[in-house]
Amino acid sequence: MKGRESILVVDDDLDFLKIIKLILENKGYEVDTAPSANEGISRLKERFYNATILDISLPDADGTELLTKFLEIHPDIIAIMLTGHSSVQNAVQSLNRGAFAYLEKPLDTETLLSVINRGLEKQRLVLENRSLMEELEQRNKVTNTLLSVSQAVSESLDLQQIVDSSLEKVAYYTGIRISFIYLYENDRLVLKGTHGLSRNQVAQMEKEIQKDSGFIGRIFKQVKPIIIDDFMNSTDTSLEPLKKKGCQSFGGIPLSILGESIGVMGVVTSTTGHEMTDNNIELLTGIGREITIAVRNAQLYEAASSAKALQELDNMRTEFLANVSHELRTPLAVIKGSANSLLQPDVIFDESTRQYFLQSIDKDADTLTRLVDDLLMMSRLEAEALEVKRKPYKIEEVVEAIRDRLDNLTVKHQLQISIPNDMPSVNIDDIRIGQVLTNLVENAVKFSDDNTTILIEAESNGKEIIVSVSDQGSGIPPELHMKIFERFFQGNGSKAGRRKGTGLGLAICRGIVETHGGKIWVESQPNKGARFNFSLPLN
Amino acid sequence: MDKKRILVVDDDTAILRLLSTNLKARGYEVITATDGEEALEAVQKEYIDLIILDIMMPKVDGVQVCRHIREWSDIPIIILSARGDENDKVKCLELGADDYLTKPFGIAELMARINTAFRHRGDASVAPAQSSFTYDGLEINFAKRRVTVKGKEITLTPTEYSLLQQLAVNSDKVLTHSMLLHSVWGTEYSSEKEYLRVFVGRLRRKLEPDPKNPRYIHTIPGVGYHLATS
Repeated sequence: MKGRESILVVDDDLDFLKIIKLILENKGYEVDTAPSANEGISRLKERFYNATILDISLPDADGTELLTKFLEIHPDIIAIMLTGHSSVQNAVQSLNRGAFAYLEKPLDTETLLSVINRGLEKQRLVLENRSLMEELEQRNKVTNTLLSVSQAVSESLDLQQIVDSSLEKVAYYTGIRISFIYLYENDRLVLKGTHGLSRNQVAQMEKEIQKDSGFIGRIFKQVKPIIIDDFMNSTDTSLEPLKKKGCQSFGGIPLSILGESIGVMGVVTSTTGHEMTDNNIELLTGIGREITIAVRNAQLYEAASSAKALQELDNMRTEFLANVSHELRTPLAVIKGSANSLLQPDVIFDESTRQYFLQSIDKDADTLTRLVDDLLMMSRLEAEALEVKRKPYKIEEVVEAIRDRLDNLTVKHQLQISIPNDMPSVNIDDIRIGQVLTNLVENAVKFSDDNTTILIEAESNGKEIIVSVSDQGSGIPPELHMKIFERFFQGNGSKAGRRKGTGLGLAICRGIVETHGGKIWVESQPNKGARFNFSLPLN
Repeated sequence: MDKKRILVVDDDTAILRLLSTNLKARGYEVITATDGEEALEAVQKEYIDLIILDIMMPKVDGVQVCRHIREWSDIPIIILSARGDENDKVKCLELGADDYLTKPFGIAELMARINTAFRHRGDASVAPAQSSFTYDGLEINFAKRRVTVKGKEITLTPTEYSLLQQLAVNSDKVLTHSMLLHSVWGTEYSSEKEYLRVFVGRLRRKLEPDPKNPRYIHTIPGVGYHLATS
């Protein structure tokens, strides 16, 4: 049941005031009277009245002006003007200024009560409407805030980014300057981010909290917000570093979803700032929910991508083993088959065929040896365990040392070497770099026609030297320019009938060059030859 | 008798030469191909009695060659693989290969497998005394090597046919894994149980109305198989 509605009656006719007070009080209204405009105004300033009955002609004021003053003080007040017959004109004017109705004296009690009733009914509707609008606006603000926070935090799958932008949004939308987030990790609550604290304060905050200790632990465990109004006198040590800067109250919001806690967000308000109103707590709880969803997504994404990475690693390992098996078994099949052929009692082969089998065994035993060497080299490179003995060498000396091997490889090609005389020395392992060059020349031979040119060049740009091997072969399509340096990648362009390589040559080259702090890359287009370059830094 | 013609497919020229030298020395005629495309061309152009097929090849690999050939031909196929894991083996057999050898292999072993494959092609000595077998819609004409289910002719590879014939001739008897492996493939196969599993599966898919609830070929778990007529 609502409280009694109040009416202020202003009239200089004191008898009239008495009677009307009696009538209205009799109908259950709370009634005050004022015999003059001035007294009316001072009454009105003291308290709120639902309605007022104003005599339009008062000795100390014009009724219409008084009405204007009343409406300034209480815009919602229902004003009923009382007029003598002569002042109907004024009464109409006062309606235009905001009066609810006017009644002519002498008053008919029934009419008066009915007008008051209608006026109060209208007032109730207006007030109710207004409070609904206010509530709607508040909801709207909360919804918009949550939407903005939700958008901001869901823009990323990076946990740290989400935490940082969440705290920023809390400050932006609630005006709360100081906030922080602890997330549950490995059975503890770990400080993940802070906002509005000095570096010194952050350093003093507990980086990890037991999941059931202190306020933070309690909020986490009970999944309920906790508000401490008298925060400065609390004894919880985990909040101690926040106490400077004249802080007043503390609010802790659980970050939870479907009853599962994932952490706690804390906010601190300063004396000059906001208070912990219910609205704010509700808003913060909503923001907490959005943060929780984003954090949970990021955590799931992290878990999923690490599972995916593991799966990929496992696939690579399986693929690697299948490749190694294939590469080992092929020469073994030739060796075993050739030897076995010679041992079969049912067929006697002629001398040249026997020679052929023996040569096959010899050749494929070499292939096997090389493969085993390459595999060992590869595993050393991958374990970053390759020993490099660096000394200052000129690249020309390195080429000279392997010149015989290069000549042997390129008997059917034209090998050209173009290295300037003034090349600086570079700190390298000459054997390893020689191996890189040999591999590159071998590839060039494999992928280009007989009688074409293979060119070794070198240049220095003051920071590094760049060595290159160019051929006039079938070239490499751009989409393979990175892939060819992966282990076991096999090019299809190799001339028919030739023995495939181990698929490790370029991977080894890359490993050796990178161990020296350099880079290796290819420039090539299909059918326009290929130019392999590698750089070696001059320290 | 005409020389049997064998197609050898391998991208490694050393293996090609090794195999053709040995096959020719034993009286076979040999055609070679260095990739899957060449192999499919050769099979379409020439009459071929048997294919020895490497599995890891550029362009069209052995698995695809096998699948293509099985769409229209029952030429015996022996797979050579440098992978050598059990999954690979089962996959190849399920695709319709008749046999599977892992590199490196002995020449005698390869020759024995070639003989087994040719034996399945059917010579009179293995034909049973009775001339036909009939049960519940399944009919086998042993003389013509013809199989029908409810009047519809079923195309079987030689190995599939050999296995079915063995089960039919001994219908209602339980044949153990090793008995079947021994009689259909040969002594050296007696531990290759997955050959049986795969080929029984292949037969069921071709013969049974519902391969998961077989009407003809029943599994006796841990023991073997039997073709029941009651």
